[in-house]
Amino acid sequence: MNLLWTILAPFAAALLVFLAPPRFAKWLALAACALAMAAAANACLVRLQDFDAALWSFDRNWIEAFGIRFHLEADGISLVLILLTGIVAVAGVLCSWNVEKRQRAFFAFYLVIIGASSGVFLSRDAFLLFAFYEMVIVPKYFLIAIWGSEDREYGAMKLTMYSIAGSALVLLGLAVAFGASGTGSFDLLDLASVQYPPALQTWLFPVMFLGFAVLAGMWPLHTWAPTGHVAAPTAASMLLAGIVMKLGAYGALRVAMPLFPEGFALWRGVIAGLALVGIVYAAFVALGRRDLKFVIGYSSVSHMGFVLLGLAMANLWGLRGAVLQMVSHGLIAGLLFAVVGRLLYDRTHNRDLDALSGFDLGRTLPGAAVVFTLACAASMGLPGFSGFAAELSVILGVWQSDPWLLAPLAAGILATGAFTLRALQRSFFLKPASDAPPPDALPPLTPAEIAGVLLLLAGTLAIGLYPGPWMALIDDGLGSPLFDALLGGPLP
Amino acid sequence: MTPLLTQLAPESALVLTALAAIGLGFKRRPENTSNSAPTLWLALCGIVAAGILLWWTGGENAGTPEAMVSTNALSRLFQGIVLALGFVGIAIPPAPGEVRHPGEFHALLLFALCGLLLVAGTSDVLMLFVALEMASLSLYLLAGFSRTAKASEAALKYFLFGAVSAAFFLFGLSLVYGFAGSTSLTVIGDQAAAGKLPLFAAAGLVMVLVGVGFKLAAAPFHFWAPDVYEGANATTVGMVSAATKAAALCALFKILVVGFGGVMGSSDWGAFQVGWAPMVAALAVVSMGVGNFLALAQKSVRRLLAYSAVANTGYLLVGFAGGADGALAALYYVVVYALGTVGAIAVVAAVERDRGSDAMDSFVGLWKRTPGQALALLVCLASLAGIPPVAGFFGKFAVFTAALLGSSGTAWLVAFAVAMSAMSLYYYLAVLKQVFVRTSTTDENLHAAPLPVSHRLAIALPAVALVLLGLFPSLLLQPIGEAVVQFLNGLS
Repeated sequence: MNLLWTILAPFAAALLVFLAPPRFAKWLALAACALAMAAAANACLVRLQDFDAALWSFDRNWIEAFGIRFHLEADGISLVLILLTGIVAVAGVLCSWNVEKRQRAFFAFYLVIIGASSGVFLSRDAFLLFAFYEMVIVPKYFLIAIWGSEDREYGAMKLTMYSIAGSALVLLGLAVAFGASGTGSFDLLDLASVQYPPALQTWLFPVMFLGFAVLAGMWPLHTWAPTGHVAAPTAASMLLAGIVMKLGAYGALRVAMPLFPEGFALWRGVIAGLALVGIVYAAFVALGRRDLKFVIGYSSVSHMGFVLLGLAMANLWGLRGAVLQMVSHGLIAGLLFAVVGRLLYDRTHNRDLDALSGFDLGRTLPGAAVVFTLACAASMGLPGFSGFAAELSVILGVWQSDPWLLAPLAAGILATGAFTLRALQRSFFLKPASDAPPPDALPPLTPAEIAGVLLLLAGTLAIGLYPGPWMALIDDGLGSPLFDALLGGPLP
Repeated sequence: MTPLLTQLAPESALVLTALAAIGLGFKRRPENTSNSAPTLWLALCGIVAAGILLWWTGGENAGTPEAMVSTNALSRLFQGIVLALGFVGIAIPPAPGEVRHPGEFHALLLFALCGLLLVAGTSDVLMLFVALEMASLSLYLLAGFSRTAKASEAALKYFLFGAVSAAFFLFGLSLVYGFAGSTSLTVIGDQAAAGKLPLFAAAGLVMVLVGVGFKLAAAPFHFWAPDVYEGANATTVGMVSAATKAAALCALFKILVVGFGGVMGSSDWGAFQVGWAPMVAALAVVSMGVGNFLALAQKSVRRLLAYSAVANTGYLLVGFAGGADGALAALYYVVVYALGTVGAIAVVAAVERDRGSDAMDSFVGLWKRTPGQALALLVCLASLAGIPPVAGFFGKFAVFTAALLGSSGTAWLVAFAVAMSAMSLYYYLAVLKQVFVRTSTTDENLHAAPLPVSHRLAIALPAVALVLLGLFPSLLLQPIGEAVVQFLNGLS
């Protein structure tokens, strides 16, 4: 199956929903996302069978005056990330089955984000990648501002301004790099083949990296994440944490670091430091929050810190771990937001950890309790779930480069366990006061929700129980000449 | 036909149509004088006829570069663009009863358009001045045509500022003539190629820049813009903001690149050289700052678009400060900008017809009332904000990137432009928020009155063009690039 479908199907469906009656919108969205997921999964399987085959690619002239090409290519890293996009997209549609308000517009914006994200992960032309990257911003704004909950206009605007500020930095970096390279091409390999003057790299790398890192939730530029998540409707939270934050980390890995390896070498200590602060700080903030969505929003920031830390290590295990953590966290964050936003909030209209005990959720919603327990286990990085494999890889990377960083990291991991367990216990397993009135019966889980949640759960278990093929795909991607300068030569 | 008549065939067609429009206006019965449709369609037919003549008589170059009117690829292309933009502007009909003598109204619009065609078609500074004044005098009258207090204020301000700047322009030209001994830009270019201007000629150049800066609404010569945009009728605003800007930028290109290409100087950080580049850079910075910051505070969408016009002039000038490549990109971006603005003005005019005001809250629920207008506004404003996949994204990208080609010394200027451009998303989104997010509390009058066909054209054409140009920027970039190369080759 052609990988172009991962981009075309969502975009086409985004237009088609307006031709069909509103009640068909979700079916169309589901079909498009399923098609994208199937195409990605199929491509992963094909690649796994033969790593020596030529990469799938699609290369056309686009804007000749600037040497811009419509160039897509699917190496292992792109493949696992579009597979993640497909899985989260399908699960997100299933968890939006109950959207009643302006359905067609909702799914149109939703599908544009999916198509553009796949585009980012597949692009090999820096301009094309950036165009897809920018395309996510406005639909995201509308998803939150129209369908969100309290403070939605504020949360949406804050997220948008952070995103566009990040994009501005990236744009500046790209424009300067293009001018300085003198290659007359925006192809990433061409741009990366140039030795930029060290003085330029010294200031241009942080500009570009920061631009991408805003979206990856790097401390101290992470504050859009919690407010955005709290305001967003469930599906938008799932997309934000599951996919959009990965776009930032992916851009850093695919564009900023390969283009300016010397600048990166100079700044990697700072990046590692900020990542560590993010991991620890966000975990402690989450420990003190009562709004369950805030807790999960901060946990996203904390877990994305692992991605950035892995990137900053710049060795094989670090980069491997970073990419695997992108996939792993995408699935787990999607799952957590699905449970909190769809399973809990849509039923109880309450996210306050102190008030939730009144619903005696462990008894009234046993299915959700099981799923949330598993999701929390995955989030804490217990063996058997994807978080374990991914975070262990990052830790190996840290051990090889800067072992002393493991001490603060351990504090962060402990705090993660603490806030996750606290949230789990308080939301589901606190007995209501004995004199409280018995809780109302809550509507049972619907098939769509169960399917969506199981899909994400299956994904995280698949990585956790059998990480081999995922690692193989990621290593395949890291073998690209793009990363030679970072890893100090081609992979063995 | 004599060659001159062939060259001026499009202009002649416009003038003849204008005369016919006046005649048609006289012939009508007094009780019917406020129906503007017949003369409007006559004017549109005249523009189409001029376009056909332009295409028909185009082709080979005619007239030496020193001639008052010379035909070449660049002038033909920009005359076509100005005609197209004028078509869209004139297609916005005045509101019912707003204009009492439609024959004269449309005749004046055609005279203005004729002047703009001549601006695009000459490389002679004297002719340039006459042509600019021909357009401006018509536009002064048109700004006050609806005889409301606001329109009169707009016309008076426009006239007073315009008269002063015309005086600057003409005095500057006289100094330049004294230096070069010729009014032809080619001869001036040869004289100035030596690299150093005498002081009086430099003063002349500065005054010329002031004059053109006024036409372009560059800060600090922009004070007329908000009042004209707010007070004048929508047709005139469409004409002032789109066709005039494109023609004036074409004139600026010829003056700076052809006439004074040898004394560009440099605005590079730490390597300033005397010339026009530092001055243009300063104008750009002030325009971007003033335009963007004041736009943030506007409650009237027309005034908002006026400040956005000032800001966009800043981006255009950034291109010029980067040299010939940047100027070429600016020629492309001005078309994209003009399409976005004239389309937005057309929607504003439609909303005013319906709600009687251009205040932000008049746009609440536009999506429910007329989805077509809302979508067109989304496309136009997204383009102005530089959001893919519409044309403004690549337009800004091209200007910023081209301004950096060859030297990264202008990075400070581009960085400021990128930052301002990112900020601009806030106020464009503020309008779109009213359209898509807010819903009106009262459900009265959900259906807007149907619009005249020409108004629908004025709304639809720019939006369609922006989407097309966004997906395939080469459609316009290629011809402009080729025309500029041909034009510059023809000179040497």
